[in-house]
Amino acid sequence: MTKYDINELYDHTQEPFHLKHLLTDLGERTVYDAAAQCNRCGYCETVCPTYMLTGRETISARGRNQFLRLLIEGKTRDIDSARESFSTCLLCGACSSVCYAKVPTPDLVLEGRRSRDGYGRGFAARLGVDLLLNRRGVFELALKAGYLLKRLGLAALAGKLGFYDFLGLPALGAAQDALKHAPLKFLRKILLKDPALKPEGKKEAAWAYFAPCGPNYVFTEVGAATVALLKRFLGPGVFTDNFCCGLLAYNYGRVTEAREFAKKNILRFEELKKALGGFTVVGDCSSCVAFMKSYEQLFTEDEEWRPRAKAFAEAVKDILEALPTDKIKGRGPADGETVTYHDSCRACHGQGIRSEPRETLKKIAGKAFVELPESDWCCGGAGAYAFTQTALSERIADRKIRNIASTQAGTVLAGATSCLLQLNAGLKKKYPSARAVHYSVYMDNLTR
Amino acid sequence: MFQKRSFDEGVRRALENIAGPENVFTDAAELLMYSYDAGLARAKPEAVVRFTSTDQVAPAAKLLYAAGIPYLPRIAGTNLSGGTIPLKGGVIFNLSLLNRIRQIDTINRLALVEPGVVNLRLQIELEKFGFFYAPDPASQKVSTIGGNIGENAGGPQCLKYGVTSDNVERLEVVTPEGDVKLWSYGDPGPDLMSLLIGSEGTLGIVTRAWLKILEKPKVVQTAVAAFASVENAVSAASGIIGAGIVPRALEAMDKISLDAAKKNLKTDYPPGTNAILLIELDGASDKKVAGELRAIMEICKTSFSTSFKTAADPAEREALWAARKGAYPAMARLAPNVMVEDGVVPRPRLPEALRETRDILSRYKLTAGLLFHAGDGNLHPNILFDARDLQEVKRVRNAGYEILKSCIRLGGAISGEHGIGVEKRVAMNWMYDAATLDFFGAIKAAFDPRDLVNPDKILPVAQDRRARTRAFPPGFLGEAAAVLITELQSRHNLGAKTAVTGSGESLRRDKRPLRGKWDGAGCKALDTTALNRILELDRENFTVRAEAGVPVGELRKWLKKAGFSIMLPDLDGTLGGVIAAKVWPPARDILLGMDVALADGSVLSFGGKTVKNVAGYDAMKLFCGSLGAYGVILTVTLRTTLHAGAQDTGYKTPVMRHKSQADGRNPVEFKPDEYHRRLKKAFDPGNLLNPWIYD
Ligand SMILES: Cc1cc2nc3c(=O)[nH]c(=O)nc-3n(C[C@H](O)[C@H](O)[C@H](O)COP(=O)(O)OP(=O)(O)OC[C@H]3O[C@@H](n4cnc5c(N)ncnc54)[C@H](O)[C@@H]3O)c2cc1C
Ligand code: SF4
Ligand code: SF4
Repeated sequence: MTKYDINELYDHTQEPFHLKHLLTDLGERTVYDAAAQCNRCGYCETVCPTYMLTGRETISARGRNQFLRLLIEGKTRDIDSARESFSTCLLCGACSSVCYAKVPTPDLVLEGRRSRDGYGRGFAARLGVDLLLNRRGVFELALKAGYLLKRLGLAALAGKLGFYDFLGLPALGAAQDALKHAPLKFLRKILLKDPALKPEGKKEAAWAYFAPCGPNYVFTEVGAATVALLKRFLGPGVFTDNFCCGLLAYNYGRVTEAREFAKKNILRFEELKKALGGFTVVGDCSSCVAFMKSYEQLFTEDEEWRPRAKAFAEAVKDILEALPTDKIKGRGPADGETVTYHDSCRACHGQGIRSEPRETLKKIAGKAFVELPESDWCCGGAGAYAFTQTALSERIADRKIRNIASTQAGTVLAGATSCLLQLNAGLKKKYPSARAVHYSVYMDNLTR
Repeated sequence: MFQKRSFDEGVRRALENIAGPENVFTDAAELLMYSYDAGLARAKPEAVVRFTSTDQVAPAAKLLYAAGIPYLPRIAGTNLSGGTIPLKGGVIFNLSLLNRIRQIDTINRLALVEPGVVNLRLQIELEKFGFFYAPDPASQKVSTIGGNIGENAGGPQCLKYGVTSDNVERLEVVTPEGDVKLWSYGDPGPDLMSLLIGSEGTLGIVTRAWLKILEKPKVVQTAVAAFASVENAVSAASGIIGAGIVPRALEAMDKISLDAAKKNLKTDYPPGTNAILLIELDGASDKKVAGELRAIMEICKTSFSTSFKTAADPAEREALWAARKGAYPAMARLAPNVMVEDGVVPRPRLPEALRETRDILSRYKLTAGLLFHAGDGNLHPNILFDARDLQEVKRVRNAGYEILKSCIRLGGAISGEHGIGVEKRVAMNWMYDAATLDFFGAIKAAFDPRDLVNPDKILPVAQDRRARTRAFPPGFLGEAAAVLITELQSRHNLGAKTAVTGSGESLRRDKRPLRGKWDGAGCKALDTTALNRILELDRENFTVRAEAGVPVGELRKWLKKAGFSIMLPDLDGTLGGVIAAKVWPPARDILLGMDVALADGSVLSFGGKTVKNVAGYDAMKLFCGSLGAYGVILTVTLRTTLHAGAQDTGYKTPVMRHKSQADGRNPVEFKPDEYHRRLKKAFDPGNLLNPWIYD
């Protein structure tokens, strides 16, 4: 790389904040090479929600990866000036989907965020991630305390006390109105009690359910539905009794902790594999599933863990693609009920899942299924985005809600839990005749 | 690079008043992000203003012009020539939110749009009504109507339906000084609208455009032919055009592009395939299209095609297109950067141009896929490189320049559709002589006397200016022209005024009511009757070059005898007269080249033998409707078609002839616009030619 001029002030390979290599669709690349693959054709601009709404290059897909590149090359040295550009990114990946050169813009944006002084080093984020990783019990207790306050009608107080920020979950705080039934019993506890899901005594299993944090801590009914579907159509399986996938830590810029989460889950997977042979790890929040599919990228410098991460990633599937369409049977929705499908970013852009859920849905819902215009336009939820970029997030959501309204559907399905929060919050305010439901819940209902 | 100076607070506040404070940006990030486009040049602006209403543009322009601050329009920033790089700093006008489609009028076949409308979005909206807008640049997913107009963009369909300038009816333009104008190519007088198209934001900003829209053809058929050599493919393309068939696309690619795209292709090509030709036909009936397709298959066979596949359904059609459409993406994955070069040659010279291009590339040790619009001789070598390797960048640049020189040598031009911007500025010196460049400079100065709007674009600047005075090859102009030029020179020296009469009936009749006036103006007639030779019929390129005094009827007869025809109705008058008086406005569609003498006797050559050419201002269009007051047209080069095979080329004999044109309103009743006057002053400062028009 000596022939290139590199910014000595900006070390984008510095541990523990950066990944040295990215696994792009073109193969393994250094961060700089991955950014340099962009030839500024601009094709990604018209799919980037933040550009389409604002018309500003600075908060567009091309702009973001150019910014990172200019930083790396030392053509600009002011890392702080990139704050708006990087922090407004939804990480939706729509840009990479259309990019001919396969530039991994969301990963680059994260690299950019991590390079900013203080990013991911803030107290709340650190504490939240640390609790979740090392003291899950304390984390859960705190979360329950927040939920309790909410049940007591003191939601605002919980927000004010900064409970959710404290836990690194500001999105939950922002979405608390949308949380109808904050669960006091978390999914993991419930599943661990289900004898049918125990690995002990089993010689083989077709699937292992991975409980992402969304279903685990917020939407327990989603996890229950997924497990029911898996039992019904894939035969016996187990619960992985997993840890958080690590995405939360990763998005906060805590790469080291993200690796720790990943390792814990990989170890769990290997244990199960020893006992049960091959099986599919099925998760029901597309954000987490997409992240787990990219575990290998976390370990490109680690000879020991890289192949193990790869083996794990290859076993992972999203519930959106896991159901066998040919075996699916059920009753259609009631007369006059229509349903549409929102492509969660991390499903369509992150994993390329588009046709599978539609085919399965069409088989069950038939004509009641209607296509959603701009179905892969981000809902604006994007983790903590709705919280950190309120105004922009609302405009992004508005366009989504308008599109949903145009279909006249009563139900809109999604595969990621942060979409459910965001969509329901928007629908409640602007189009209350529809509600957002997780794909698993809907499918479980109609195939029971 | 531009020196840093802080932006004037007063100007900033005034801009905020116009566009709203939230739309004026001077922070480091925004300036950095507007320092690049899809080309390689870089420079930072001092401010970026985002407009939310077209009405804000003119006041902002006026303000900055008065303050002496440079500015330029930018939308998607996908131009490949550095056209949106603020070389002198100043302000970027970000027009991307001016993106409303205001009206789709299927009765008058017009769409009224704002400049920020993305080309593909317009197509999607039009499709709902069964219509389409012909220009289809490969970048249509993201490039905008404003940018397409700025660059005079083209695409595959342009072979049949023309480039952007052929598909615009009228423009609302904010002039550099901030006046708002409404110009249409059909207006009497010199065609300012067409001048604006392809002017890369250097002459004004388009704030609204009325675009011509077309009904979607009932039948579309697609086929791909494979060949063992590029030469065979080009010979087939020539054969197709020669047979009078005008496909809606006639695209070619060579082996390297094909190999690159191959991974994602479902279609197979025979071993030994070195080029493919993608042919798409459209028309009103299955029978006609099927007939043409059969004819094309035969032509391809004669050119030794090794396979010929026709698409049976839309899915297969997509599959056939996948090779062509997948070529650029595939190249984009092979290296960090792809330089899409853009040269044009007369179609019959394509094999030579391609051979020379290949030689140049191998000499510079570069890999490139060749894609070309075979129908109109527009070639796009897609050269792979890594912009971080400065040595390689240099090689790419130099190879690009040599390719352009080779295009010029072969009678072509340095840009067919991507524009000049800053990246090809120096190449203008090789294409044009000093007088022509001065003429372009005079146009720019007439519109933008303080040189503030997108400065230093298109025209070579002092440090790269090397153009020579031109030595015309002997016989290029002929004796009659030489006499006329000498006469003009001597009158110019004496300050004597001239009435350019021509032999043409039209011009003479048009002037009749004014005879008293030009006598009164003290003019001496200058008869162009002697310019009566038909100079060259290029039978392979389907072009004819003739002196301006040749009567239209005579040319038609002569061509018919030679087996050709021309899309000009049987008008009275000479070629020069018909064009100068804009007797039949669509004549501009077949006008490819022109030699003109200005009032001082200097001679300029515009255009040439290629269908596409966006190098420099479209000055030829100014002489359409110039009524002899801008200069004397000496020769014209026109597009012809083969008489025998002439099929549906869209030409219909006009119902109205010039006698009844526009309800008896005579083109001489033209009332010059301020900008017509400025141009007149620039070209003919002494008001020597037909002076009464600009009295
Ligand atoms: C991968 C790729 C493929 C391409 N393929 C093609 C192709 O097939 N055919 C083709 O012709 N081009 C092609 N281009 C080039 C480019 O897309 C076109 O030049 C396009 O017209 C630019 O549009 P834009 O909206 O990006 O304009 P910009 O790049 O923003 O501006 C282009 C020029 O127009 C001027 N301008 C912008 N707005 C206005 C306005 N309102 N009034 C006056 N001037 C204005 C600008 O100052 C600038 O000089 C391609 C580019 C890329 C990257
Ligand atoms: S990221 Fe990809 S699509 Fe976007 S400008 Fe760069 S190369 Fe083009
Ligand atoms: S990830 Fe989404 S928001 Fe971010 S740059 Fe890409 S398209 Fe835009």
